[in-house]
Formats: sequence, structure tokens, C-alpha cells
Amino acid sequence: MSKDLLAEATRALRETEPVSEFEARATRARVMTGLHQTRVRRRTRLAFLLPIAASFIAVSAWGAASGQARVVLEKLERFVGVATPAPTSAKVTPRKPSAAPARTVPTPEPAARTPMQDAEPTLPPPVAAPEAAPARAAASASASSARAERPDPTLTLYRIAHTAHFVDHDPARALAAWDAYLSAAPTGQFAPEARYNRALSLVRLGRNQEARSALEPFANGAYGAYRKAEASALLERLAP
Amino acid sequence: MTFFGLTMVTEQALASNAELGDELVLRLQRAEPSAVAEVYDAHHAAVRAFAKRLLGDATSAEDLVHEVFVSLPQAIRKFRGDSALRTFLISIAVNHARHFVRAAQRRRRAMSAYGETTTHETSDPEHEARRKELADLLTRALDALPLDQRVAFVLCEVEERSSREVADIVGAPEATVRTRLFHAKKKLRQALETEGLG
Repeated sequence: MSKDLLAEATRALRETEPVSEFEARATRARVMTGLHQTRVRRRTRLAFLLPIAASFIAVSAWGAASGQARVVLEKLERFVGVATPAPTSAKVTPRKPSAAPARTVPTPEPAARTPMQDAEPTLPPPVAAPEAAPARAAASASASSARAERPDPTLTLYRIAHTAHFVDHDPARALAAWDAYLSAAPTGQFAPEARYNRALSLVRLGRNQEARSALEPFANGAYGAYRKAEASALLERLAP
Repeated sequence: MTFFGLTMVTEQALASNAELGDELVLRLQRAEPSAVAEVYDAHHAAVRAFAKRLLGDATSAEDLVHEVFVSLPQAIRKFRGDSALRTFLISIAVNHARHFVRAAQRRRRAMSAYGETTTHETSDPEHEARRKELADLLTRALDALPLDQRVAFVLCEVEERSSREVADIVGAPEATVRTRLFHAKKKLRQALETEGLG
């Protein structure tokens, strides 16, 4: 009997009362509205995401092309603490032991200088950045053996200039070498240090006009706080 | 041919749909409103009838129909063309049914708590009352079934589809569909006996 009842109930469910035309049209309108909203949402999403994606790609490409990406990556690695600390023996340029203290001598305050020194501006101590620069290079070299196997030609130019400037104390040769490095890597990772050292070489050679031109960007903050105070002090001394 | 007051899609219409299948599918993939509207006009009655039989609740059925057609542009990417578009639409409804079955059950419980019933004017009120009583009874019994058995029963018994077609819709082997149907019918008979109507 229950079988018959099940069949009867099934038939009853099959013969469900008709849906009104109004309900069908109302649902159709809801579907169309829903589709429209979906399209609008998709367009809005695209309008936001596409520029972000394009900016990201452009910045990545610029970073890769200019070498800034590596610098940022190294800074990030250092910040996160995954970078291998550069061992002292990993310094790229062999240096005389006497050269090291000279690099760490702080810049003397202008007020403490003698009038004689004022008349003939003393050369500020060599920048510490070149010391850090090879260390950075060493850190990146130790991070990837493959990269270490392929020496960067601009880094070689930097080493030559560094040796001429800090080891041999030959400003003429150093100037030529800094120029060579900067023409090879005008936006390289050590470009600010190279530009500052070039300016120092010009000062040493007595080419004050060119030295002023080279120091002005540093004094104006074109490189942030990097060597801003030293450049300003030097410019004051070089003023005609 | 009419189907519950709405124009039912004829075999001829289905055939013409199959002919313009590729173009329609492409337009659906681009989420063109006109394409969705075209499919809605052709198939909404079948989808709505299935939804109402499965859920036993007109409001939830309308929500499910809405869900099926709104999600159609996304779902059509899986459409291989080896089944009729209407079968595909029913399978979308099955895939979205779980949430709506629960909603329909909640609504039924709430309505029975308030003693709310809907009445429809018919030529034979006595027959209509009996039909409605049986349909409601079966719907309540269906609420106790797992969803896959419920779907198998509605598609095979209420909609009188072949086990092959149901297997296509639910994406399961025919034998599995038959097993689900067997267990569903067994449980439903027991439920009807418990209600004292057996």
C-alpha cells in the first residue's frame, strides 16, 4: 500500500501548482540585474588591479634594469636577517693596514679648523662608503656562488678607482678611474660613492670650479642625507 | 505545449539551440546579458519545476533559479556540449542546491510553526487539498534524506528521467544513481508509514 501511496505522493509532487508569469518575470529581472552587477564588479576590479599590476611590472623592470632591485633585495635581506654577514676577509680590494684608520676618522668640524686649513681646504677623510661597497659586493657574492663566478665588469672598474684613490693616493688616476666607473655604471649601486670620491679627487687636483659643481648635488640633498653635511662644508671652503 | 502555465520548450526549440550552440556558448562565456536572457526564456520553466520539486518551496526555488542563471556564464566554461543545455542547467541547480535545501527546510519549519498554509483556487477543491497534502508529506519526507538521494529521487521518480540522464546530471555512475534511488524510496516508504498514511 505504501508503495501506492508513494507513487501517488510522487504524482502529486509532479503536479506542482503552476508558477505565475509574474514570478518568472521577476526572477528574470533579478537575473539580469545580478549579471549587470557582476559585470560592474568585474570592471571595477579590473580598473583597480590593472594599474597596480602595470605599476608593479614597470617598477620591477626598472629595478632589474638599473640594478636597484638588487640593492633593495639586499637591504630587505639585511632587514629580515637572512643575509650572510660579510666576512672581513671577504673585502674585495686588498688594502694597506695604514689606510683603514684614515677611513674611519670623522670629518673635522669647520669651527675646529685653523685659518690656514680654511685657506687651503683640507681634504676630508675618504668616505666610508667604499669600504661598505666592497663589503656589500662580498655579501652578494657569498649569497650566490653563481653570481660570484661571473665578475661584474663595473665592479672591477670600481676596485681600480678605489685602489687609486685610497691606496695609491693618486688623485689624477683616481679621477680618471671614477669617471670610467661612472660612465660604465651611471646608475650603478656605488654611483653616489663614486661621484663623491670623484668630487674629492677634483678638490685634490685644485679644479675647484668642477669640484663645486660635483659637490652641489650632495649639498642640495640630491642623495638624501648622504654626505650632505660634508659637501656643504667643502663648498663653503671652496667658495671664491 | 504548455507547462504549468508557461510555454514549455519543445524538442524543436531544443534542436535549434543545439544548432546555435557554439555561438550561444561563446556569448554566454562573455556573460552577454542577451545570451543569458535567451537561455532563461528557453529553459527557465524546466529549471524552476525541478527546483520547486527538489526544494518544495516556491521562494527558495526562485532563489535557486536566480542562482543558476547568474552563475551560468562562469559554469558554461565546463560545458562540453555532450549533453543538452537544459541537462547542464539542471546539473548547475543540483550543484547549488545544498544551501537552498537548508533554506527551504528552515522556511517550512517556520511556516508550520505559524500554521501558515497557501491555498489555490481550483475546480476540485477536495482533490486539490488531497494532492497538496500528499505533496507536502512527500516534501517533508524528502527533507530527511541526504541530498544525493533526494536529488536522485526527484530526478528519476518525480521528473521521470532515465538513470543515464540523471547520471549525467549528477556526475555519478548509473549504478550509483540506482543505488541512491533504491535507498531513497525505501526511506520514503518508511516515512510515509510512520505518518500513518501507509
